[in-house]
Amino acid sequence: MGLSMFALSRRSDTRFAPARGAIDLPPSYFDAGLRVRGVIEVEGELTVQGVIAGRIAALKLIIAPGGRVEGDIVAREVVVAGFLNGRIFAPTVTVEETAHIEGRIFHNVITVARGAHFDGRMPWRPINFFETLDQLPETQP
Amino acid sequence: MTIFNRNDSKPADGKSPAIDAAQTPRPVEQPRSQAYAQPLSPPAKTGAPMASVISKALKITGQLESTEDIQIDGEIDGDVRGVGVKIGNNAKVKGTVYGDEVELAGTIDGRIEAKKVILTGTARMSGDVSHQDIKIESGAFIDGNLKPDFGKTAGSKPVVAPFKPVAAVTPSTPEKAAEARH
Repeated sequence: MGLSMFALSRRSDTRFAPARGAIDLPPSYFDAGLRVRGVIEVEGELTVQGVIAGRIAALKLIIAPGGRVEGDIVAREVVVAGFLNGRIFAPTVTVEETAHIEGRIFHNVITVARGAHFDGRMPWRPINFFETLDQLPETQP
Repeated sequence: MTIFNRNDSKPADGKSPAIDAAQTPRPVEQPRSQAYAQPLSPPAKTGAPMASVISKALKITGQLESTEDIQIDGEIDGDVRGVGVKIGNNAKVKGTVYGDEVELAGTIDGRIEAKKVILTGTARMSGDVSHQDIKIESGAFIDGNLKPDFGKTAGSKPVVAPFKPVAAVTPSTPEKAAEARH
């Protein structure tokens, strides 16, 4: 289960370059009316304005204002401007001022805007933590 | 925003000249406003031709439901519910696709339940199709039954299929044959 999820991050040595592959591929977009339940794997960029319940693996994930995600996120880069209940595992995380987060953010570099609502912890991890992330740690947010 | 995107994506639609006329006075504004929007608001830069886009690099295992249109170019293992569902050329869906209008150019391994079904020349459909209105282009592959289903919206489209003796059924349209038998 974990293997397919992280096959993406193992593929290349430029894995933590700022989401280069995301630019080549057409971005995906989940509109406000879209609800997804399940596992999502994107080899590119995903913008969420709808509701997702489940696990997400992506190169770059943007939770737009109004978007809701419940579950774990593994990505190279995550931008949160919506609602998140769950965990983020990403080297680069940006929390916008409209964000509402409950959970944990495992990060290497993080930006949190003034006004963001964040309830939880933000553990810092070295960059190789994300490279060797074969299985998500079983922590409860 | 979605309205603007739709107009942006298909200006050559010829659907409504009024919209084209409304757009022509501001061809300069549009790229400029987009250029501003790009670094600021993430959803603006998607340039989504439809409400939701599931691009070819995306794989979903689970259910998907939308109150709007969906364009699927990726891979979905599960059911899809939408209003207008467009399944692109290299897309694969394993499961049932529900919708008002389903246009298939890719592969479905499952069922389609929709009022209007379009199977294009590259479509590959393994499973049953439940429809009110269907269009099948030459080249489409269908392995399954076509079932006209008029139970859902009574009165919207009365069944007035002229009675034909079975021998006179045209071989080209099996769905009409089924209709006639009903």
